[in-house]
Amino acid sequence: MTTAEYQGAALGERVPVGGRFGWLMTIYRYALVILLALVFVFPFIVMLTTAFKVSDEIFMAPPELLPRTWTLDHFIGALTQIPFFRFLLNTVVIAGLSVLGTVLVSPLVAYSLSKLRWKGRNLLFIMVLATMMLPPQVTLIPIYMMWNKVGATGTILPLVIPAFLGTPFFIFLIRQFLLSVPDELIEAAKVDGASEFRIYWSIVLPIARPALITSAVFQFVWAWTDFLYPLIYLNEEESYTLSIGLYSFLGEHGVQWGPLMASCVLFTLPAFLIFLVFQRYFIGGIATGALK
Amino acid sequence: MERKAQARAAHAAMSTALGAVMLLGGALGAQAQDKTEITFSYLWGGAEGAALEQIITDFNASQDKIVVKGVSSPDMTKQLASMSSAKGAFDVSDNFASNIASWANQGILLPLDEFGLDTSDFPESIMKQLVVDGTLYSVPIATHNFQLVYNKKLLDEAGVTPPTSMAELADAIKKLTKVDAEGNVTQLGLGLTDISAGLKTLGYAHGGDWNRDGKPTPTDPGFVEGVKFYFDNVVAPVTPAAYNKFVAGFGPYMSDQDSFKQGKIAMVFEGEWRAKFNTEAGMDWGVVQVPGKTPELNGSTWADVSTIFIPTNTGNKEAAAEFVKYLISPPAMEKFSHVLANLPGRLSLVDSATYDDIPNFKVWLDALKNPNTHGLPPALYMAEYNADLASAFDSVLQGAQTPEAALQAVADRTGSYSQ
Amino acid sequence: MQSARPRPSEPTGRALLKGLAFASPFIIGFLVLYLWPILASGYYSLTDFSLFKAPKWVGLANYERMISDAKFWKSLYNTLFFTFVGVPVDIAISIAGAHILNQKLKGQPLWRALVYLPSIVPAVAAGFLWRWLLNAQYGFVNEILRWFRIPQPNWLLDASWGGISVIVLMLWTVGGTMLIYLAALKNVPQELYEAAELDGAGPLRRFWHITWPMISPVTLFQVIVLIIAFLQVFTQPFVLSKDPGLGTQTATGPGDSMLSYSIYLFQNGFTFLKMGYASAMAWVLLFVTLAITLLILWSAKKWVFYDNR
Repeated sequence: MTTAEYQGAALGERVPVGGRFGWLMTIYRYALVILLALVFVFPFIVMLTTAFKVSDEIFMAPPELLPRTWTLDHFIGALTQIPFFRFLLNTVVIAGLSVLGTVLVSPLVAYSLSKLRWKGRNLLFIMVLATMMLPPQVTLIPIYMMWNKVGATGTILPLVIPAFLGTPFFIFLIRQFLLSVPDELIEAAKVDGASEFRIYWSIVLPIARPALITSAVFQFVWAWTDFLYPLIYLNEEESYTLSIGLYSFLGEHGVQWGPLMASCVLFTLPAFLIFLVFQRYFIGGIATGALK
Repeated sequence: MERKAQARAAHAAMSTALGAVMLLGGALGAQAQDKTEITFSYLWGGAEGAALEQIITDFNASQDKIVVKGVSSPDMTKQLASMSSAKGAFDVSDNFASNIASWANQGILLPLDEFGLDTSDFPESIMKQLVVDGTLYSVPIATHNFQLVYNKKLLDEAGVTPPTSMAELADAIKKLTKVDAEGNVTQLGLGLTDISAGLKTLGYAHGGDWNRDGKPTPTDPGFVEGVKFYFDNVVAPVTPAAYNKFVAGFGPYMSDQDSFKQGKIAMVFEGEWRAKFNTEAGMDWGVVQVPGKTPELNGSTWADVSTIFIPTNTGNKEAAAEFVKYLISPPAMEKFSHVLANLPGRLSLVDSATYDDIPNFKVWLDALKNPNTHGLPPALYMAEYNADLASAFDSVLQGAQTPEAALQAVADRTGSYSQ
Repeated sequence: MQSARPRPSEPTGRALLKGLAFASPFIIGFLVLYLWPILASGYYSLTDFSLFKAPKWVGLANYERMISDAKFWKSLYNTLFFTFVGVPVDIAISIAGAHILNQKLKGQPLWRALVYLPSIVPAVAAGFLWRWLLNAQYGFVNEILRWFRIPQPNWLLDASWGGISVIVLMLWTVGGTMLIYLAALKNVPQELYEAAELDGAGPLRRFWHITWPMISPVTLFQVIVLIIAFLQVFTQPFVLSKDPGLGTQTATGPGDSMLSYSIYLFQNGFTFLKMGYASAMAWVLLFVTLAITLLILWSAKKWVFYDNR
């Protein structure tokens, strides 16, 4: 895997076209791809338009896509009825710390697994692979007991600390990337007498930047969307993330579709923005096959 | 009223699942307390919370040893988290009776026997729910039961009088159920806004009991008959598919799209908090006691209780007990239940004129004295049993299983429940 | 691309220390967050354990109880249903979609972004959104079906459609797999197609004889990844089935059709406080996952084509 491929730059266009009815084929191709995109995007459109409908219109059979009367009430309701900004801040803190842990630690381990030669390295790599496959349900309860014993349930520690101990997926991803970095670069620095950590810090990390950014954006979105772990560990409304906040919002107010859709829009927006900015890193990460 | 309703249609999975978890989590910061100051954390909010604050103010003014600080904290999980830490954030709080057994068993509720509370005025059906293994762990501040609420306008249109017997109920359902030319239901004679509460009520009305003598009895003949009654008279005539399609269109409970408010259902088994909602929603409505299979069974229903308790980790149990005594005293209880349009927990308050301004409230009030009002003995297995019953009810309403088979399947599972 | 050349002379002891030092966070993580919990849950699975009281040894009783627990079987059946219907459909849609995206199109980044977008939507939000879309009375899915004169199922309240609703929700995030296949399609050597075209092979033949074998290693990996994900599904059915406004106390869907294995495990552990039983269920899940994965890997010899050029 080369750097270029990794970043998705190599995903060019290929299949040749021709013939006298080329323009017809062009229309056909675009029709197909628009249809495909529509299937994925249509639910977003419904989410958005429902959020702008007044309650009476939401409950209309048959449903209509566009609101007859546009209203911002549901957004105002969502922002005032639930402590949205509190949840947002909590989510940002958890996601931010997880990202920090991931970019600090996962490349360290990946470096050890790709560029350092030591006895037991392969065993450790197998351990990384094995943990990627392990159903989290198996470890859920004992880990909960452990955090409870040290009094960390109800805090964000159980949600953040794992990232500082290396996430198998990202270790794997960065390792694969580093394997494609020529050893010569490192050897040269070695000859110059640089310490291993210096080599790692000033040579390896800058080269691994694309893989690090991919890991960071995926970690961010995972932390952003995580549900089960905040559900288990956070027990005070003040510390709720948006996932849990949204879920209990339904619990306390029944299914109020307008405000609910409005909060879903607000909830999805940050992840959406991150995605727009870092799109090529997402696609690059996906192309490695390790992440989705 | 709101709070009861919400708790019913809402707190559901979240609080049961998390509640259990949070019993453990001891991470909540403890709060320093003055010796004379205690904290009352309540789940109510809004108008109900304001009513409680008024009662707290009254209490603080009535004596000079204790100062109560009220905190509205509508989150049950937080409540539990606090109770499981070494030193809690509050000294008095409230919850439903159905949680009492399990909490008492976990050792987080303070036994109240030593404080010499007078319980003789509490109805038998209520007391039954608060005593675990002979020990009193909580006291009622408000109670709830279910009666047959109907949409007067729809009944008048169909020329139906409110049913007073099971046969009349069946007949009314028939006349009040409307199906259009394509087989789509447009109106249900008898609906359920809370499946479990409604079907359990029907079970009692058939002389059954789903939890007899502290044991789960899902195959109790009367209970099975009650479930069967609903299926045979409501679901089967319109077909399960049409029934469920109609139900899929129900809006949120007690909102503008509420199925009863919208006239989608003509009759429903509902709690007393509905009286205020229906009236404020401008409905023309009425209520009769639950019709029984035989005249002796008329008025069969079951009572749920909002209770007040003291957590084991209180820093000041004497002061807390003093305040609890005040809260359940007749004037405080009356004031509180009236504002919420909930029922009191004292027999002596049943005939109070205070409640006269709440339309039709009498029907629910009278049930407090009715021997056909059942109470649930506290049991550890309630969460599991209710989950299984919900599955069984659902399976019946789907038309996937007969009531007999579905409830037999529950019976097969009761052996593995926590005891 | 793995460089085989060893580093110039470094004592093995030092190299080992260095390697361990760099890997130490994960070694700690492995011991604390994986190895110990796995062993602990194995032990819990042999006990009666309610979180509050010390575990009581019961031997294999929890495993024995599963055999007669109809809900256990129901949840296992549902989960296998999600998996064995969901994964093949997921793969099929991904491959088809990747072909559409692999055409000569302007604005590639946009199209890729659009299909991937649902994958970044928080599952809770996605669940609520689809509850609304799938509503039998007010939902757009049935409205679209109505236009095409297709019968409209009662997705969320009909026991025979509950499981399919879960799969539909999971398929909405198929974009990730689709993009993986897109990358795989780009890697198929163009000469192979040209040669086949000269031989007069039609599109279908070209797919079966060139594309399918060439992307089969990707398929193998994706099948395994997807199976693992489907076997663990929790949030989607949990949100989809939560209290449909009827005061139902459980998140299991009509006729328990959305009761996934993970939900039942969670219920047992955290609602009914049967941690021992839940741990036993976790172990069974581990074995089911392992068994299916090994079966797929074993079968791979027959259908996965490794390019040894």
